[in-house]
Amino acid sequence: MKFFFRGGFICACLCLIGARAADFPALFKERVKCVVAVEFFTESELDRRPSVTTALVADTNGTLVLPPSAINAYVSPAKLKDFRVYLPGKPVVDYASAEYLGQDPLSGWHFVRVEQKFRASLVPVTAFAPKSTADEPALGEEFWGIGLRGKDEDFAPYFLASRISHLQSMPERTAIALSEVAAPGLPVFDHEGGFAGLAVGGFGQRFIEYSRNERGTPIMLLNIEESSVFQLASVVLPELARVPANVSGRPITWLGAYGLQPMDPEVATFLKLSNQSGCVVSEVLEGSPAEAAGLKDRDIILALDGQPLPRFKPDQVVLSYVERELNRRKPGDVLAMTVLRGGERLEIKATLAEQPKLIRETDRHYFDKLGFTVREFVYGDGVMRRVKRAAQKGVVVHFVKNSGPTGTAGLRTDDWIQEVDGVEVKTYADAVEKLTAIEADASRSEFVLLTSRNGETAVLRVKLK
Amino acid sequence: MTRNARVLLAVLIVALACVQDAQAAMSRGFNRLLDAVVRIDVREETFEAGARRFTGSIGSGVILSDDGLILTNAHVASPRAVELSVTLASLERVNATLVGWDHWTDLALLRLDLAEVKRRGLKFTHADFADSDKLYPGQTAYAVGTPYGLTRTVTRGVISNNRRYFADNRGVKGYETGLFNTWLQTDAAINPGNSGGPLVDEDGHVMGINSRGYLGAENLGFAIPANIARRIVEGLARDGSITRSYIGIVPGALLDLEGFYSLKQNTGLLINNVDPGSPAAKMGLRGGDIVLTINGAPVDGRFPEQLPPIQNLIASLPVGAPVKLSVKRGEQTAVYTLVTEKLESRQGEEWAFEKWGLTVRKVSRAYARENQLTDDTGLLVIGVQPGFPAAVAGLDRGNIITKINRQPITSLDAAKKAYAVFAEKPAPTLVEAQSDRQVSFYIFKP
Repeated sequence: MKFFFRGGFICACLCLIGARAADFPALFKERVKCVVAVEFFTESELDRRPSVTTALVADTNGTLVLPPSAINAYVSPAKLKDFRVYLPGKPVVDYASAEYLGQDPLSGWHFVRVEQKFRASLVPVTAFAPKSTADEPALGEEFWGIGLRGKDEDFAPYFLASRISHLQSMPERTAIALSEVAAPGLPVFDHEGGFAGLAVGGFGQRFIEYSRNERGTPIMLLNIEESSVFQLASVVLPELARVPANVSGRPITWLGAYGLQPMDPEVATFLKLSNQSGCVVSEVLEGSPAEAAGLKDRDIILALDGQPLPRFKPDQVVLSYVERELNRRKPGDVLAMTVLRGGERLEIKATLAEQPKLIRETDRHYFDKLGFTVREFVYGDGVMRRVKRAAQKGVVVHFVKNSGPTGTAGLRTDDWIQEVDGVEVKTYADAVEKLTAIEADASRSEFVLLTSRNGETAVLRVKLK
Repeated sequence: MTRNARVLLAVLIVALACVQDAQAAMSRGFNRLLDAVVRIDVREETFEAGARRFTGSIGSGVILSDDGLILTNAHVASPRAVELSVTLASLERVNATLVGWDHWTDLALLRLDLAEVKRRGLKFTHADFADSDKLYPGQTAYAVGTPYGLTRTVTRGVISNNRRYFADNRGVKGYETGLFNTWLQTDAAINPGNSGGPLVDEDGHVMGINSRGYLGAENLGFAIPANIARRIVEGLARDGSITRSYIGIVPGALLDLEGFYSLKQNTGLLINNVDPGSPAAKMGLRGGDIVLTINGAPVDGRFPEQLPPIQNLIASLPVGAPVKLSVKRGEQTAVYTLVTEKLESRQGEEWAFEKWGLTVRKVSRAYARENQLTDDTGLLVIGVQPGFPAAVAGLDRGNIITKINRQPITSLDAAKKAYAVFAEKPAPTLVEAQSDRQVSFYIFKP
């Protein structure tokens, strides 16, 4: 090893890099065609908030891939409006509209399709894919990528480059560079311009902040414009084709093992499990495939379909691994799990099911005069509130206008409405009917809600006059 | 001097003489009171830091009897106190012991070491209670105590409100307070260290026991009324503790909801919440129900100030006794018979496991209900010491230890047993703990 770090060798390397660097302007100009900026609006009861993100061109049909964090997971796709696609460096007055296609449960990416107008100007990143992605990049190898300036600068593209300092499984194979190498969600290329990976955000760096008053406070800084971390092309390329069949991203696989926690190496050693990891199941959810298969609270999952859970660093990565393994499978698939219960090893076979309705898929209704929005009570609400399915009823408050009648009465977002005017609310339709009647009745001076918050009920009196 | 002026002077002199008379009368009762007020220095154990530690604090108190009973606040003298040192009006110091405490009313009773008092020939007087039901806003009030350690400080103000309501779920060292009593509010300056000292009238009669003030506010002080204190003193002197009953209803003020519930004016107690697993929950009571009578007596919970007496009425019932509630739900009225259970604090017993660098608090029934835990198994971690096995394993404040070496920890004793095994022959110990419903395993390594 030491030999490679001798001065002469490094010099030779640098000369080589220097010789190739002349190609960058041409490579950059061509590869900028596989990136765009995307703007969209999230509509709420009172306003429309704009968001801007980067996107990667996935194919020749105008399919774009947006990073997972670009869209809040709780936002209903119906509230995402007016997607606009901008070409890097071109005047922002000229944009194309696009359609939201949904989120892929495996990769977490959001998919968007741009209208015909811009498609000819775009080149999919697959056009730059190397012949083989079997070889992993070498430590110290230099890679480059693209960053985008803000909207006020016409999303001008710029060049970034760095060297690989570390490769890790997170659980996807991921390269960590010495410094920022591309904007999150944008591609990274090798010297020949071959697609090498996709930059991912969310990795912070630790600093100590000194100020006039502070003697040094540890803080974490997160660069949201550029990232030094990228998933390798071998991970990214197969996932580019996972365009959701519908806007809800379904089918979404469900096991129903809640609160998975990693097992730390000390515990593994104590339990005589060497060189592998495990996942503690905090709770098995009611009516879930896990429950039907006989999984129990506090079981430790050791293997999936005979494959022991690998050891990752840090320990938490095993949770993403299990989640990915589930999402790789489809509802109806049988998943064999090896679990440790007490001191005993058991084999459990669960038939995976379709995920129950998610909060972002719920029906909701805004009552402008009353100043709040209600939504359906779904499976996840029961889990959060520890309410058995038999006892589930009513609706959940999705939004409360600050100065509105319900806001003044003390209603808060996520309160669970169980009764309206002393009468139990059975279903969402029931609630909407009752509240619509109250809103329409001009002679009404008040109404009464029985709500529950953190497991405690309260009677709220809402004054309308 | 004109005749008119001479008359005026005569009147003035007479008036002044009256005033002097009143002051003379006041000073007799008042001086006696001053000799009954004491400073209390407390050394107590704490368990917050992952180890048993000791802290000191200063409070006030008032002597109530010739046999040396001293009334103070529960937040001054609690069962965590390991040393109670009382400074008499003569500036002599005498030790005292805790007779009992009641955090619900923030009162504690101490007893002076009479043998020592006798041996050293010390003298003290005792104070008498006023009738706090007869107090009125605007009445002059004096606070006597040890603010910031300044012994025998007298401040003056008035009774600002004689029926203030506030409850605090963690008000007395993390214990609940204020649910069963109203408070006297005064603008007599009350500062830290005044706690436990008396609020007195001009004759030196104890109107209340000063307990708390609003931090950052000016002259908003609160005292426990004498009539409540008198009852608690009797109970503590007799039994060492106050036993209360509980049925599990959390009332809300009805205010002007009578029309909505079709109730007669000034009738009924609104149930806001029913504690899961409590007697009321077992009988099917729920939020939105209206209690019309308790054991046949009508209740009126229209205003927040009316709630503590009703709560106290329920609390005063014998534990395990049946209580009949007439309850209105919608148009229906039905009678429910509940069996009371013993009221327990949400705060459980605390302990330190020194070799693990771990301090814990037993999960109480109330804490388990409040946090929607399955049951009251487990110990809440309140502190870990860096570098010790618990901290090294990754355990932190807020975790709840549910099992040690696969044995469920249903009591503090169960954990003490497991600890004794570790202390005698240190070996890696498997600990199961949960935090916000997430279950993890930890290894305590010697």
